[in-house]
Amino acid sequence: MRQRFVTLLSASTFLVLAVTGVIAFLRPFSLPVVGLHALMGFAFVALVILHVAFSSRAMVRHLRTKTLWTTLTITVLATVFLWWQPRPVRTILGWSQNLGPALDRFEMGEKGMIYHYHPDPSYQMTLEIQSGVSYDPANPPRLAIWLENESHYHIKTLYEPKTADSETMLPYWASKVAGWKEALEEAKERNESLDELVDAISSPTENSSFDPADYILPQKSESPMPYRLLIEINQAADRTDKSEDQPSLVYQVEIDNFEPRTFQILDLVGYPVKEETREGESEWSLYYIDERFGSALNLIDSALLTIVRDDTARTEN
Amino acid sequence: MKNHESPWNRRNFLQSSLLGAGAAITSTSATVVAANPKAGDPEITQSVDVLVVGGGTAGTVAAIQAGRLGAKTLLLERNSQLGGTMTTGGVAFPGLFDAWGKQVIAGIGWELVKESVELDQGEFPNFAKVPQRHWQNQVFTNQFLYAILCEEKCAAAGVEIAFYEFPQSVIRAEEGWQVDCVGFGTKRRILCRQIVDCTGGAEVVGMLGFPRFREEERQPGSFLYMLGQHHEPGREQIHRIYVHGADSTNSRTATQANLAGRKTILEKVRQEKKRLMHLQPETGFRESYRIEGETVVSVNDYTSGRFFDDAISYAFYPVDLHTRAGVKPEPLKPGVTPTIPLRALIPKGSRDLIVAGRCVSSDRLANSGLRVQAACMGMGQAAGVAAALASKAGSTPLEVPLDEIRQKLREHGQIVPEQA
Repeated sequence: MRQRFVTLLSASTFLVLAVTGVIAFLRPFSLPVVGLHALMGFAFVALVILHVAFSSRAMVRHLRTKTLWTTLTITVLATVFLWWQPRPVRTILGWSQNLGPALDRFEMGEKGMIYHYHPDPSYQMTLEIQSGVSYDPANPPRLAIWLENESHYHIKTLYEPKTADSETMLPYWASKVAGWKEALEEAKERNESLDELVDAISSPTENSSFDPADYILPQKSESPMPYRLLIEINQAADRTDKSEDQPSLVYQVEIDNFEPRTFQILDLVGYPVKEETREGESEWSLYYIDERFGSALNLIDSALLTIVRDDTARTEN
Repeated sequence: MKNHESPWNRRNFLQSSLLGAGAAITSTSATVVAANPKAGDPEITQSVDVLVVGGGTAGTVAAIQAGRLGAKTLLLERNSQLGGTMTTGGVAFPGLFDAWGKQVIAGIGWELVKESVELDQGEFPNFAKVPQRHWQNQVFTNQFLYAILCEEKCAAAGVEIAFYEFPQSVIRAEEGWQVDCVGFGTKRRILCRQIVDCTGGAEVVGMLGFPRFREEERQPGSFLYMLGQHHEPGREQIHRIYVHGADSTNSRTATQANLAGRKTILEKVRQEKKRLMHLQPETGFRESYRIEGETVVSVNDYTSGRFFDDAISYAFYPVDLHTRAGVKPEPLKPGVTPTIPLRALIPKGSRDLIVAGRCVSSDRLANSGLRVQAACMGMGQAAGVAAALASKAGSTPLEVPLDEIRQKLREHGQIVPEQA
């Protein structure tokens, strides 16, 4: 009776483990899912021990069979294979949406906007956008914050407005995200990782991973991969003498993930313009600020990026 | 009965006809060298106002500028064409003429580049557009047209060109310098008021014993070629290999660099089994000697965009030090546009002597940004003005009123730095 109870409980616990494992792979980091998976793992270990204890005679009999040794060999080989992570395994892992415990918070107030990003206990990013004289808290501007790799490809959107007009108001960010999604789809169709796809289309992009974790929390400190944080900001219907509606503005800062500086100010880069390429496709490019701009330049007084990264703590973990 | 293969079957006939037609067309294009009554004299002595040594990126512009200001100008070039790295080196994508959305270097250098591109029906980068990489605003230029246009503009400015010649000795003369030069079949004694040293490695400055610096290990040179595909001049970048240890100090070190570069390219041809479609005649050198000038531009001056009181030209390029591990350009901060002071072109303690080009007085990191072609063109034009005005006034470049130099530069289309 007790043996059957333990066997069934082991099976049901295993089912929860398997389901939460798959969810953790498919979904962005979720503390309840990962917590459930980990705690159920402990329970499963205890139940397996009990199960082995209750079935010791049968286990001893198994020792004399080839089946046990075959299954053990298969398990060891599979473990080594998955631990070694050859390219196909890495490709499969690359499909995971779980990028670690990304906890973020965005606050908008009278003095401006603050964005906190805390994807790991050893990493904390804060972007403080001090409002300028044109900033109206009652009618705040649209804002997107995202990361790009060294090759100027979008790798992660940190914050986006939850409004229907976000893509038209913030066209540069939207074009980057759209390009990234298209590339993801194409890579999926070709059964390749995004890195491989981009290398195949353009040229090998050294230090241009598409995994945000490689930048934010690099495992290999000997191969630095600088990345960029950008913001695009746009105030609706901000007319000036020279413009019906001033375009959005893009600010950026480059982050050296080998040795990140704690404080960095974002620089104004330009404004987006839609252009047609020689191949007849349209793309968004940035142009230097011209005389059409007025109040838009005063939406932001300054944007300060603060990164606190404790590499020692992470290594110890 | 089987017919014998006739060598004049239809296909052969057509091919032969076409070849014949081609040969006929080629033979109708010809030119005649202008008669030179002194061509047979092995020894020449001549007097000029300004002698420009080195017809590269800076020297050509310096000579044209001096000529346009009415100075009797002689341009010595040891190779067979003008343009230096733009032509012989094949780095025919000069930059950067713009900074932060506006043009900062113009003048004669831009005039040459612009005319080359227009004649070649090429395209200019849009300076209003933010480049994702700095080199996107370099201007693809047809190196062959550029070389010929340099000659045309020299001729129009009254500049005499002496190819295949280089100075062997320089000594003080009553009204300036006596420079003895040699070329094959030619010995030329030049009496000049001013020398503009545009040799890249400040060779004249070295001959005169003024201090120069050189690093223990220099940046690699680049040998440019095209393997396996046609090269369209003025439209694209070209393949290149690094030549580590390349040194343009003298003919022996330059020979070694060229031999090493070509040997590596031959190995590539054998390995990749592709056709060699284009090969530049020599290595493009990035670094050799720099002068110790009246002012030394430091990397802090450069990256902070320091405005020098005697600024005569802008420069704009990342700090761009090439090493064995490659290059990682460090872009300038937004809004920063470095300036080049006149004093950095004057060898310390010298008179009647000015330099232009990559030997500009600067520390190594600042030099890695200052050495590029647009900046060299800017320096060349300023040196040409200073030398011509000094020659006219019977003074030395440093004694020419700065306002006068700046005014002439503006009159000749150059953009003169202004304090923000």
